[in-house]
Amino acid sequence: MMRHSRMLAAIAAMALPVVPAAAQTVDYSALEAVMGEPVTTSVTGRPQRGSEVPASTVIITAEQIARSPAHDVPGLLKGYAGIDVNRWTAGQSDVAVRGGVQSYNARLLVLVDGRQVYLDHYGMTDWNLLGVPIEDIQQIELVRGPASALFGFNAASGVVNIITKKPGDAPAATLVAALGDHDRARVAGSVMVPLAAGIGIKLSAQHLREDERRVPDALLTPGRLPDVTASQVASELFVHVGRTTATVGGGYATNGQMEYLPSQILSNQFYRSGNVHASVARDTAWGGLTVSGFVNWLDATYGKDALRDRPNAALEIDNRIVSLKAAGLYRFGDNNVIRLGSEYRNNRIVGDAQFADTISYDVASVDAMLDLHFGDRVALTTAARFDRLWLGASGPVAQPAFNDPASFDRAFSRVSLNAALLVQVGANGRVRLNGGRGYQLPSLTTFGVRIPLVTATPLPFPVFVAGSPLLDPVGTWSGELGYAHDLGSTRLEATGFYTRTSDAIASPGDGLQDLLEFHLVPAPVAVARFQVAGDYQTYGVELSASGRHAALTWRTNYTWTHTDEQVGSLAAPIALAFSPRATTPQHKANVALGYDAGGRWYLAALARYTSPTRQFAFTAMQQLALFRVEDAIGIDARIGYRFTTRLAGYVAAENLTLASGVAGSPIPADRRLRAGLRLSI
Amino acid sequence: MSVTAPSAAELNVPVATRVISFLQLPPSGPIQTAIIYAPGNADSVAEAASIERAIGAGKGRIRVKRIAVGALGTLAGTQVAFVTGGLRGEQDEIAQAATRNHVVTITSDQSCVASARCVVAIATSPRVQITVNRAAARAVDAKFGSAFLMLVKEI
Repeated sequence: MMRHSRMLAAIAAMALPVVPAAAQTVDYSALEAVMGEPVTTSVTGRPQRGSEVPASTVIITAEQIARSPAHDVPGLLKGYAGIDVNRWTAGQSDVAVRGGVQSYNARLLVLVDGRQVYLDHYGMTDWNLLGVPIEDIQQIELVRGPASALFGFNAASGVVNIITKKPGDAPAATLVAALGDHDRARVAGSVMVPLAAGIGIKLSAQHLREDERRVPDALLTPGRLPDVTASQVASELFVHVGRTTATVGGGYATNGQMEYLPSQILSNQFYRSGNVHASVARDTAWGGLTVSGFVNWLDATYGKDALRDRPNAALEIDNRIVSLKAAGLYRFGDNNVIRLGSEYRNNRIVGDAQFADTISYDVASVDAMLDLHFGDRVALTTAARFDRLWLGASGPVAQPAFNDPASFDRAFSRVSLNAALLVQVGANGRVRLNGGRGYQLPSLTTFGVRIPLVTATPLPFPVFVAGSPLLDPVGTWSGELGYAHDLGSTRLEATGFYTRTSDAIASPGDGLQDLLEFHLVPAPVAVARFQVAGDYQTYGVELSASGRHAALTWRTNYTWTHTDEQVGSLAAPIALAFSPRATTPQHKANVALGYDAGGRWYLAALARYTSPTRQFAFTAMQQLALFRVEDAIGIDARIGYRFTTRLAGYVAAENLTLASGVAGSPIPADRRLRAGLRLSI
Repeated sequence: MSVTAPSAAELNVPVATRVISFLQLPPSGPIQTAIIYAPGNADSVAEAASIERAIGAGKGRIRVKRIAVGALGTLAGTQVAFVTGGLRGEQDEIAQAATRNHVVTITSDQSCVASARCVVAIATSPRVQITVNRAAARAVDAKFGSAFLMLVKEI
C-alpha cells in the first residue's frame, strides 16, 4: 500500500493541469509542487518561497490541515510559536500574535484569498463566519508582526491569509459529515467543475451546530445560553483566457453564538453576512497587474436574550464595506521586484444604537514595495503605505447627542512602514532583521456607538456607553531578529521580537466613576466612552524546530513573552477591561507529531502548554473582575483510516487531558470528541 | 513497478514536468518530449533510463522518446527536451537544434544553462532550485508566467 501510495503521489505530481499554471497568475498548489515548499504572497505581495520571506511566517498546507485534530482555523494556528488562541466560548475564538490578548481582537487582519473577512463594524474576526469549509483551504498563511505597509489599517500585529482551493482539470467533489459529543453535528461539501477549457466553477456549503460550554455560576450570563450554529454557501467562477485570469464569486453565511464583548460582558449574537467579489489579473512579461473589488455586508444582532424579562431586546448593526484595489508587480534586474498599489474603501454602519443613523469613513491609500536582491546572499525589502481617512456621520442624530456633529467631520493620515534585511549565512543558514510600523484603526462602533447601560442598581440618571469620534489609530512599532537553519530535513528557527503599542483603545468596564462625563442639558445623562487605555510593550523569544523523517513529521516550539504595560488600575472596581500583561501567557510550548506512511492509517497529535493568565469577566454580581486561568497541558489527537482512495474516516479529540485552562477563557475548557467520514470524488 | 527518487545528479522528472505547466501557452494535448543522451556515456544512458521509468509511471501527457546526441536532426516535432548530463561537449549542437525546432530544454546540468545553451536547470539538493536562462528561453520562444519567474533564478 505504501508503494502504491507513493506511486499515486508521483503520478499526481506529473499530471499536467488543463488550466496552465502560468495562466492562473499565482497557482499556489502548482507552485508548491514545483518548488517543494509552500509559496506565499502575503508578506510582500510578490510570490515567495516560504523559507525566503522577509518576515516571521507560518504556512499551513492542505496536507497538514487534512491530518490535524483541529476543527477550525484558530485550532490550526494555536500550535505555532508566538500565537495565542483564546477560545472564550464554544463558538468565539480570538487569535493574538505576540501578546496583547483581548476579546474582539482588532489587531489581526484576516483575509480569504486576499479579501477581507475581518469584520469592520467592531474590528474583530468571527472565525465561524469565514464562509470557507476547512476542507476547502489550500493553505493558511500567518505573518507575525505589523504588515500595514502592504495591507493597511488593522494588520497591526499580523495577517492571516486563507487561500482556498481552485478548480483543476477534472471535476472534483468532497463531502464531509461528522458527529460529536456536545451534540456536535457538521456537514460540509464542495464541488469543483471545469465547465470548458479555462473555465471552472466552485460551489461550497456547510452547516455546523454544537452545544455551548457550561458557564460557571459565578459569571454573569445572558438569560439563555444558545447553541453554536454556523451555515454558509459560496460560489466562485474562474475564467482563464490567455494570460488573463478573472474570478467572480459570492457567498452568504450565518452564525449564532455566545461571545465576550470587548467590555467582557457575555452576550448572545447572531450574524448574517454576504459578499460579492471579483478580480482580474493579467500576467505580463514584466510582472503582472491585478484589479479587484468586493462588497461585504453584515447584519449583526447583539445582545439576544440579554434580559430574561425582555428576550427580544437586542441591538441591530448593519455594516457594509466596499473596497476597490489595483496593484502592479514589475520585475527588473536578476530577481528584483517593485510593487505599486492603491485602494479605495468605504465602510459604514447603520443602526439605532449609535450617534447618528449612519457612521462611515472613506479611506484612500497608495502603497509601494521594493524587493532588492544583491547576489544570491543578501535581500533588502522596504515597503510604505499612505492612508488618508475621512470620517463622517449622517442621518438623524440620536438625542441627547454626546458630541458636536462637527466632530465626526474629521480626516487624518497615517504612513505605515515595513523593512527587512535577509542575509544567507553559509549553505543552510539565514539571518533576518525586520520591523515595521502598523496601525489599528478604531472601529466604526468605537467611533460612534451609543448604548444605554442597564446598571445593577438603579441610578437617578441614565448611563450610556458611547464611542468617540476623536479617537486616533493605535500605533504599533515592531522589530525582530531571526535566524533559520536547515539541517537536512530538519529546520531550526529562533526569533527575538519587540513590539510597542501606543494608545491602545478599550471598552468601558465596571468602575465607571472616574470615566463618566456628564451632560446636563436637556436632562442629566452620564456617558462612559471607549477610550485610550494606555500603552504596552511585549518582547520575547520564539524557538522552533520541525522536520520529517520517513513517515514521521514533527514540530516543536517554545515562546517566551514578557509584557510591560502602562494602563489603569486593576483593583476593583475595574474601569477598563484591558491588561495585556495579565491576559497574555508568559510561556507557551507545543509539540506536534504526525505519522502517515501512506497506508490506511494515519495519526496526528498536538500537545500544548500555556502558563497561567488572568482573564476579565463580569461576575454574577455585575462586577468586572480578573479570573485566574490555570496553566494547562492540552492534548489534541486525530486518528484516520482510509477505507478506499475516496472514502476515509477519522476520530478526533480536543483537550483530551480536560485541562480547564486550555481555552484561555474564564469559562473552563471542556473535552470535545468527534468522528466523521470524508468522501472525495 | 516502483518510483524511486532521482539522485542529485539526475533530472528530477516530477519537477521538470511541472515546469512545463508554467510556460505561457503550454503545449496542448500529448507533449512530445525528447530525452537527449549520449549512447556511449554510461551515466547519460542511466539518466535517460531513469527519466523513462519516471515518465512511464506517470502515464500522463508526456510522451518521451530517446534521441541520441548524434541524431539531433530528429528533434523536429518535439516540444520539450530533457537533456541528460555528460553532454558538455555537445551542448552547442543541442542548443542549435533546440533553437531551430523551438524546443524547451530542461536539464540537471547547471553549466548548460549558465552557458545559455539550455533553458531550464533543476537542482534538487539540498532543496529545489530552478534556474532559467533568459537568452536561451528567448532563442526557443519560451515564455514563463511571471509568478514562476519570481520564484526561480533568472540569469
